[in-house]
Amino acid sequence: MQAYIIRRLLAMIPTLLFASLIVFITVRLIPGDIIDLMLSSNDIGADKKSRAQLEAALGLDQPMFSQYFRWLGAILFEGSLGKSLWQNTSVMEEVLHRLPITFELGLMALVVALLVGIPIGVYSAVRQDTVGDYVTRSFAILALALPGFWVGTLVMVFPSIWWGWSPEVKYISFTQDPLRNLAQMAIPALILGKAFSAVVMRLTRTMMLEVMRQDYIRTALAKGLATRTTILRHALRNALIPVVTLVGLQAPVLVGGAVIMEQIFVIPGMGLLLLEAVSTRDYPIITGVFLIVGVAVVVINLLVDLSYGLLDPKVRYR
Amino acid sequence: MVAVAEVVRVPRRRRLPGSGTLVFIGRLFRDKPLGAFGFVICVLFLFAGIFADVLAPYGYNQINPINRLKPPSEKFWLGTDNLGRDMLSRCLYGAQLSVIIGLSAAALATVVSVLIGIVSGYLGGKFDMIMQRFVDAWMSFPDLIILIVVVSVVGPGMGPVIVLLGLLYGIGGSRIIRGAVLSVRENAYVHAAQSTGASMPRILWRHILPNVMAPVIVLFTTRVGAVILAESGLAFLGLGVPPPAPTWGGMLSGSGRSYMYMAPWLALAPGLCITIVVYAINVFGDALRDLLDPRMRGSR
Amino acid sequence: MRTLRGALLAGAMMMAAGGVSAENGEKPQYGGQLEIGTVYVTISALSWDPADFNWKLNHDTGLFYEQLFAGDMSKSKKAGGPYNYIPDAWLPIDSIRGELIESWEWKQDPLRVEMKVRKGVMYPEKPGVMKKREFTSDDILFTFNRLKNSPKKLLGYFDHVDKVETPDSHTIVFYMKHYFAEWDYQFGWGYYSAIHPKEVADAGASNWKNVNGTGPYMLQDFVAGNSNVYVKNPDYWDKEKIGGQEYKLPFVDKITYRTIKDEATYITALRTGKLDMLETIRWQNVDSLKKSAPQLQWNRWLNQSGTFMAMRVDVDGPFKDIRVRRALNYAVNKQEIVQAYYNGNAELFSYPQHPDYVGYFEPLDKQPASVQELFKYDPAKAKKLLAEAGFPKGFTTKVQVCSCNPDHMDLLPLVAGYLEQVGVKLEIQPMEYGAFLSAMTTRNMTPAYFMNNGHTNPITTIRKSFGTKQTWNPSGWSDPEYDKKIEVIYREPDESKRQAMLRELTTEILDKAPYIWLPTPYYYAAWWPWVKNYAGEMRAGAVRPGPIYARIWVDQELKKKMGY
Repeated sequence: MQAYIIRRLLAMIPTLLFASLIVFITVRLIPGDIIDLMLSSNDIGADKKSRAQLEAALGLDQPMFSQYFRWLGAILFEGSLGKSLWQNTSVMEEVLHRLPITFELGLMALVVALLVGIPIGVYSAVRQDTVGDYVTRSFAILALALPGFWVGTLVMVFPSIWWGWSPEVKYISFTQDPLRNLAQMAIPALILGKAFSAVVMRLTRTMMLEVMRQDYIRTALAKGLATRTTILRHALRNALIPVVTLVGLQAPVLVGGAVIMEQIFVIPGMGLLLLEAVSTRDYPIITGVFLIVGVAVVVINLLVDLSYGLLDPKVRYR
Repeated sequence: MVAVAEVVRVPRRRRLPGSGTLVFIGRLFRDKPLGAFGFVICVLFLFAGIFADVLAPYGYNQINPINRLKPPSEKFWLGTDNLGRDMLSRCLYGAQLSVIIGLSAAALATVVSVLIGIVSGYLGGKFDMIMQRFVDAWMSFPDLIILIVVVSVVGPGMGPVIVLLGLLYGIGGSRIIRGAVLSVRENAYVHAAQSTGASMPRILWRHILPNVMAPVIVLFTTRVGAVILAESGLAFLGLGVPPPAPTWGGMLSGSGRSYMYMAPWLALAPGLCITIVVYAINVFGDALRDLLDPRMRGSR
Repeated sequence: MRTLRGALLAGAMMMAAGGVSAENGEKPQYGGQLEIGTVYVTISALSWDPADFNWKLNHDTGLFYEQLFAGDMSKSKKAGGPYNYIPDAWLPIDSIRGELIESWEWKQDPLRVEMKVRKGVMYPEKPGVMKKREFTSDDILFTFNRLKNSPKKLLGYFDHVDKVETPDSHTIVFYMKHYFAEWDYQFGWGYYSAIHPKEVADAGASNWKNVNGTGPYMLQDFVAGNSNVYVKNPDYWDKEKIGGQEYKLPFVDKITYRTIKDEATYITALRTGKLDMLETIRWQNVDSLKKSAPQLQWNRWLNQSGTFMAMRVDVDGPFKDIRVRRALNYAVNKQEIVQAYYNGNAELFSYPQHPDYVGYFEPLDKQPASVQELFKYDPAKAKKLLAEAGFPKGFTTKVQVCSCNPDHMDLLPLVAGYLEQVGVKLEIQPMEYGAFLSAMTTRNMTPAYFMNNGHTNPITTIRKSFGTKQTWNPSGWSDPEYDKKIEVIYREPDESKRQAMLRELTTEILDKAPYIWLPTPYYYAAWWPWVKNYAGEMRAGAVRPGPIYARIWVDQELKKKMGY
């Protein structure tokens, strides 16, 4: 097991480096670089000399590989992800400022999904194919089928027209006012979590059914050797295994943000940071965000895989 | 974007009970009325999509500013949009686009998932490890970067959207298939086949693949729904199939939102289309899963 | 209930007051806060350092970094003057007042402008950056040199200046090589004229935490993509006369610029009073706002940007022939676009000169017949002209458009529909913003290119779009005679002569039709009635609303009474 963990962690490094190199190069290959964007916003035409001058000022006149190694060096020796090309502020600072906000939103969404999905999944497994099953499952699936941005827009717009109320449009941080912060995040978390809740529901239901239908369980039940509740608990424990896998799959959202919710509910998260950075071709931010998100996701997935192996003895690690 | 995932464990090889699709459909209606309902809706939309050219009373880009923003009436069953185009026709053509994009992307995703999942899950060892690291790396890419990069380089359009969504869901879904393969791999008859010296492709094709067919089919159906939803999210961010293409997502996030107060039917029509179709696909997919796996059938 | 009570009260008030002007006898109060959705509500601050030469700088720094000149708000329409202070980078000559400068005078032999620096202007203390001190001419000199030597400078921007000297602490002299019509725009009240002190530059001018200026407010907080928070500078030098009495500025204690990317969200914010004022509202939202928030005050402004489809004349193809270009103009029903697409909220004719450019703009009915017919819908004439030019069956061409602009994505198919009636088929190629822009800057774009271009000011609008090899010249227009005429305008000291020459140049280029000229939409600004001494003005310098916001006061009692 230990060897496996160490191997996985070591394998992470070349993967991330390789991927970061890909991102580094690819982003610079997008048509329309930052020089174009900076110069074109001015009212005087920019000639070759202006371009060259600006490129040098931004450090972009160096060959790609030397820029990449400088970036790498800054990370390893200074712990710095560089500076935003537009704002000249530290990328690390910006990312660290936004990461907890995104994490909070993602976590709350996950909690919503679990709180809604698991009970409905259990209920619809126990009452399979009854009207109750259909109604609750339909509820969960409808929640998934409504596009998130649409629900968000409706929640933002119509209460304001009918009752003069709207969600907060400025971000109140947790340290400032925890209750208002939670209240503000609750709505986008609900919307973000609703789709995932259907997935959780489906999975829980599947696992519950599988356990409950096994012959020895049915025999035990028939013989009165085990109560319904013990069966349920046993089944639920099994259902948690793939749910843990699901958490791993949510990792990119937990760390990378949910752009649509951030945009509608004015939450300064990682999603918006990345969207803006790509639109304005702010390369250091793009590569910095990618690296942080990449590390976090890989670590989360590693933890997930480990726990999965611990819970299900059939899976071996070779 | 949320990647839909599950692990379904398949214990042993078995044939579909009963023979032929008709019997299967019969069982669907008898045992899973909700799923049957979903199935019927899916078929209806498939039909609408395929025959949109015939069914639609107007063209999808028949611009006529005089008729703009008219509420539903006899002439325009679902009203008109801000350029005077008939919403019913646009939604029908939207169905066509959803069918094309949904089926293509889901098919691509399923093929990718199966290829990666089966090969990686069966071979295991170093190959599996490297493959999974690649999958890790891919999935730690924020979807947004990939989308914006490709859309910028290639330009917005249907092709990039299909390929992109197919790859994204494909690689993400490979985990599920791999999980199923891991279970099947340890079964007795697989060992038996191996010990008789059967070649790997033969084992994969004859023993592994048929036994993970159930999750594959279910994965495919849920992918179609996920792709339709994803396209609407892309449209919101300006990365979807560009106008005048009448995708439901494009209509909902564009003029649907701009004219929400003045002309709510602009959003209601495509919004209902998306919701109903995705709902139908999902309940049908659930019913499929229940029917294909005997342990799910319950006490009836 | 809250809105009904407010509505009754506001209704009564509106009948009594009849306007927002403080001249109606309302006494300004101090205190309160303002939450503003500016005209750039979706865009956060891009830069804090004037040496970055960023177009948006004045918008965010204009409340603390002042300039040599600014718009004179006593000449605004609400004060009975002629100016609406909407144009994004133009101030009419007699609307300009000295801000950091008290007076200035042109002198000959050698050609120079002598300026007297305002006395008693102080820099507040900024812990860790600078102590409180008086503003002197050296600060102006420092700014000028810093901008001139900036690695991000626009080459040639200050070439008209020979040298700058500061004979004493409150005098500064600019020696000019020759007269240059935009001298005050390029260093005075323009985009790149924010006066900032050496201490801030030493501490790091691009870090918002270090900024410090002479203006009415100080920057307290900045969250990228979310908000800018400014607090009152208690030692600000300027005063405002209202109702015969002089008041020390500013009135409001705290101003917050909110950055909200989503339109539905910022409209909602205004509707529920979370924004006190919003400067950019599309016509589609006006009805719903008026119904759900009837107490809002309104102003309408014409977009500072022309919409058009550029046709490349620098590559081989049908567009090289002027008949084809004119024919396509006849083929588009521009009146219908105004009526049906914009629901009447647009101006048919407003580019390249903007109707707000008094003296430079000649309305359509004063233009020669050949220009007027470009705006009359006549598909038969278009077909005939196309046939004459050798395209009786029309032709097919590609057009690029930015997918970032939802209006364009709807408008272009409409235009394509008109053109198809005369046989010209458009193949629409949407592109992401960065890619779209670079297609133009690298001259790799398709023969047709659908875009918006800012008016900026009366001379720049012509020069940047029709001058040879200019970046923002999408059609690739190149006429050496035309370029020469533009040069002459820059050297002409008499404004009326410049106006006449520009009117000529405008008519000439309209006639030559390098673009399909399209209507320009109106936008709306709205604010709650407790926002006083404000009538929707937007800029008192290039992209600079600072002086306007400094003169706003908030009727806090009214706000409470209305339930907010």
